Amino acid sequence: MSTTRQRRGLAAVIIPAALALLVLGAVALAGCGSSSSSGGGASPAASVSSGPITVTDGSGASVTLQQPAARIVSLAPANTEIAYAVGAGDKMVAGTSYDDYPAAAKSLPKIGDFANPSVEKIASFNPDLVLAAGGIQAGLRSKLEKLGMQVYVVDPKTYDGVMTEIANVGRLAGASAQAQQVVDTMKKAETDVQAKVGSAVKVTAFLEIYSKPLMTAGTDTFINDMIGIAGGTNIGAAAGSGYPNFSTEILFKDDPAVYIADSGSMSKPGDLSKRAGYSDLTAVKDGHVYVIQDNIIARPGPRLAQGLQELAKMIHPEAYATQ
Amino acid sequence: MTRLARTSVWPGISLAAGIFVVCLVLSLVLGPVSLSLSQLWHFVTTGPVPGDLQNAIFWQIRMPRVLLACLVGAELAVAGVILQDLFLNPLTDPYVTGVSSGAALGATIGIVLHWAQLPWMTVLALIGGFATLGIVWMAARRRGRIDIFVLLLAGVTISYLASAIVTVLMIQANQDMHAIIYWLMGSFSGRGWQEVEIALVAVPFMIVPLFFSREMDILLQGEKRALELGVEVERTKRLLLVTAGVLTAIAVSVCGIIGFVGLVVPHIVRLLVGPSHRGLLPVSLLVGASMMGIADLLSRTVIAPNEIPVGVVTTFVGAPLFVYLLRRGRKG
Repeated sequence: MSTTRQRRGLAAVIIPAALALLVLGAVALAGCGSSSSSGGGASPAASVSSGPITVTDGSGASVTLQQPAARIVSLAPANTEIAYAVGAGDKMVAGTSYDDYPAAAKSLPKIGDFANPSVEKIASFNPDLVLAAGGIQAGLRSKLEKLGMQVYVVDPKTYDGVMTEIANVGRLAGASAQAQQVVDTMKKAETDVQAKVGSAVKVTAFLEIYSKPLMTAGTDTFINDMIGIAGGTNIGAAAGSGYPNFSTEILFKDDPAVYIADSGSMSKPGDLSKRAGYSDLTAVKDGHVYVIQDNIIARPGPRLAQGLQELAKMIHPEAYATQ
Repeated sequence: MTRLARTSVWPGISLAAGIFVVCLVLSLVLGPVSLSLSQLWHFVTTGPVPGDLQNAIFWQIRMPRVLLACLVGAELAVAGVILQDLFLNPLTDPYVTGVSSGAALGATIGIVLHWAQLPWMTVLALIGGFATLGIVWMAARRRGRIDIFVLLLAGVTISYLASAIVTVLMIQANQDMHAIIYWLMGSFSGRGWQEVEIALVAVPFMIVPLFFSREMDILLQGEKRALELGVEVERTKRLLLVTAGVLTAIAVSVCGIIGFVGLVVPHIVRLLVGPSHRGLLPVSLLVGASMMGIADLLSRTVIAPNEIPVGVVTTFVGAPLFVYLLRRGRKG
């Protein structure tokens, strides 16, 4: 009896948790947003238009505020970075325990971690705008809305989508002008990259999200979009959407010209050339193996501008070396 | 009787060996990048060639992964047979002794301390597994003998405790949560020869129980009867428990927790060849290896280039087969 319960207990806990975490993985990546170097600035003078503000969020839902938000709770590090970048840092009343950028965000009161935000805790801050993430937080919206809170879901699938989300958050926070500056910076990074690598022949690239099991960024992700903008062909796109597992054999068969490993708090790639068989990969033999910090590539926020430029330099070093 | 049993185990073992060879060849030939039989022969005869990518796919990726899956499958199946018969409980699997949860705790500590590279991860998992076995053992010792039922209860309790500590560590070190979850789910992805070498250490422990098949048969009739028949009950129990513990800890340490094989393979084999351990142990070993090999084959091919977690496949393959055999067994 107890044995069954134990094993079922283990399976019942581990398997759904693992699956939830798979989703969370994608979201955490999506959610660990970043902010531009201008983050942290308070701008009480930001433009305030009269009348209700209506925007469409990342999940396609319409969000209406009667007046610009004054008390914002962020449920993802990415959202916190966006709020600070658009100059709404002074309106932030709470964030998540993962928030680490800008430095000011670290001292915000916490509503829990990214996977388990506490509804009670969120409500206790009496926010007029909650910035949530997609995926694992999808079920949270109705709970928060029942309590009378306005929820904006940041869930971009492309680089340009991130800019749209930033502009929307800026409008909701009554900080459109500074949000536009952030968007302009991101747009400029994209234009610069396109000018450098736009005419270059596409190079096959693999982006490792996690090594055991091997995971990558598939279609419908801003990472996949950014690899494309940076002049690469993402071989991970063949494995489907989101952040799928990827067959090591197919990795070897496709033999990408460039291998980029994501590194950060979630994943430490280690020395790739020491992994079984990796020394035979073209990318390893030619020295086209790179490590990129996850908070500039995996957080859908303003710092993606930097991530995009780094990606372009990794995928097309020749376009940058000639300068 | 004995003579009859002696002559009748070999057809079963030969058949299982035949099935295993077929599964092994299939696992080596099929994959996201499939080979022909002549290519397989070519790769096997030429051996590893540095610099050749096709060769690397075979020798560095597929071969170690297939061998690891088969070894782990065999280890879990043998451990399952031992523990089900020792506990006289059909629901027992290699994970009830708490060894797997202890190993999981060890591995989790490795991840949290950022010692997650081999061989540290394996060492910590083994330490965790053995420490748990030790604690459970101490709890179950009464006047020089091991009380099997206390052992079972202590194992389950320690399992819960270890799982709770893993959960606390996951919450505390939340950036490591992914690494811990993926490890707990179990997978052969990204495993190489290093893991195979560790799993090979378990081979002697798979063979040891074969020499105790008579004692194990008698133990099925209860410890009292076994004592009357001159079996050194306590010595046999100790030896079998340690063997099952080592097999489980090694299996868990290289690939995480993969369910169902250790539970279902012994039952399937009992239905096919009967409860006598002379047949049951070797056939379970071979069937466990075959089943895990095929499960991993499916896991890496069905939705390639994506992969299905192997634990999901073992359940999908094992459950219908098991139910079918149970029904058939009941009719017969």
